[in-house]
Amino acid sequence: MILSLKNTFAQIGNATLFASRFFKELIVPPYEAKEFLKQCYIIGYKSFPLVAITGFIMGLVLTIQSRPTLVTFGAESWLPGMVALSLIREIAPVITALICAGKISSGIGAELGSMKVTEQIDAMEVSAINPYNYLVVTRILACTLMVPILVIFADAIGLVGGYAGINIKGDVNFYRYLSQIIQSLEFSDLIPATIKTFFFGFFIGMIGCFKGFNAANGTESVGRAANSAVVTASLSIFIIDMIAVQLTDLIY
Amino acid sequence: MEKESGYTWKLGMFVSIGLLLFITAVYFIGKQKNLFGSTFHISSKFKTVSGLEVGNNVRFSGINIGTVEEIQIINDSSVIVSMVIKDEVRKFIKTDARAGIGSDGLMGDKVLTISPGVKSTKIIEDNGTIASIDGIEMNDIMKSVKKSVDNVGVISEELAIFSHSMNNGNGALARLVRDDKMANSVSNTLSNLESGTKGFSENMEAAKSNFLFRGYFKKKEKEKAKKQEEKQEKQAEQEKAAKEEKEKQEKEKQEKAKEEKAKDEKEKQDKQKEQDAKKEPEKKQ
Repeated sequence: MILSLKNTFAQIGNATLFASRFFKELIVPPYEAKEFLKQCYIIGYKSFPLVAITGFIMGLVLTIQSRPTLVTFGAESWLPGMVALSLIREIAPVITALICAGKISSGIGAELGSMKVTEQIDAMEVSAINPYNYLVVTRILACTLMVPILVIFADAIGLVGGYAGINIKGDVNFYRYLSQIIQSLEFSDLIPATIKTFFFGFFIGMIGCFKGFNAANGTESVGRAANSAVVTASLSIFIIDMIAVQLTDLIY
Repeated sequence: MEKESGYTWKLGMFVSIGLLLFITAVYFIGKQKNLFGSTFHISSKFKTVSGLEVGNNVRFSGINIGTVEEIQIINDSSVIVSMVIKDEVRKFIKTDARAGIGSDGLMGDKVLTISPGVKSTKIIEDNGTIASIDGIEMNDIMKSVKKSVDNVGVISEELAIFSHSMNNGNGALARLVRDDKMANSVSNTLSNLESGTKGFSENMEAAKSNFLFRGYFKKKEKEKAKKQEEKQEKQAEQEKAAKEEKEKQEKEKQEKAKEEKAKDEKEKQDKQKEQDAKKEPEKKQ
């Protein structure tokens, strides 16, 4: 019991050191620009179809699901505003982050884990390439910057999905739909949600890298690294979300 | 090298579209909140703002032209509301415009409405102040609604009693409305009355020629003639002074006379009806 507790704390301590090392190495040259762009492409562009489909379906489903409740209040015309608010404030960031945790975090964990197991990381060190700088910094930075953009895409596509959902039973002009959305939105909806996604991205990348980089020797540890990366990243997303909500509530 | 350029343009497109979406969202929300574009400030002093909040819309002729920027209590009976308004509508807001607080629908947000003044042609300055109209509180509306509803209750009660007595009662009016016999007898009595009055005037003529009354009637005629002569003299003098006014007055007199005649006739008819109504049951009995 005490041992497992100690191990957990040791893990958290290691992760904290790992994260602080990221900020140190981020500032210090050399910068791996080419690898960074490649990771951006893999993390951002390649995840786009998945995020787009999820976002569209979330918007559509949310609209159809919340319509009956609003109809009982006779507030059907508030549907666009309500869908936009819940999409932008909560659903699009969290769903996108969870999908990225599943796709990116596990990918990074498996990739780095297998590199660790096949001793490619050691080989890098031998050939005077800083493996942390080359592998970890680029991935975490790419994650931190790409996830917010993916969330913005998810927002936009989710709203299109919401428009489709509204037009299943009602008839709303697209321009009117957009203007209703913009009327119901404020900066206090958009900005905290966007800031939150940077943290989501950072933790998705960081946990994936940490689990992969610290994988034990042996083939099965690759799978374990990938698995625990997904689980921990998903959990951390919810924890960050909770903290973010409380902070936002405090400030606004 | 080819492979590299293969993904960089996709990445660039992805990032730039994402950022573009974000910027447009920020721009449109900002436009809604008047953060961008040129604006000016005006303020107005209210006794109560009845729930107006910072960020509520300001309307002019029903169009959203700005938002409430600050609400400040300056003492126990006055609140200063300052608002940001688009510069493009400034030329329409004159110095005697007035601000009022309304609400957007029954359940909606409060809105600050600026209603245009009448006289002034001077355009309001930046940081200028305008007068305010005290808003109507929901309580006041409810009070007046309650009053009129109470009145309606009383009226409908009385109306019910009235219509009940009309339908079921045995009063004169009720019978007049319901009974065909009644209507017939009323018309009969009217025709009787007509012939009666004819006979009466004949009697009067006869009385005039009677020697007992002749002197009396002659005296009366003489007096009348004298009075008329005096009147005519006076009228001639007055007419010279103001013909036009007299003409008007005469017209008015004539009209009044007509009206009075009409009234008298009506009253007579009513009285007759009542009398007839009284007679009817007696006949029946």
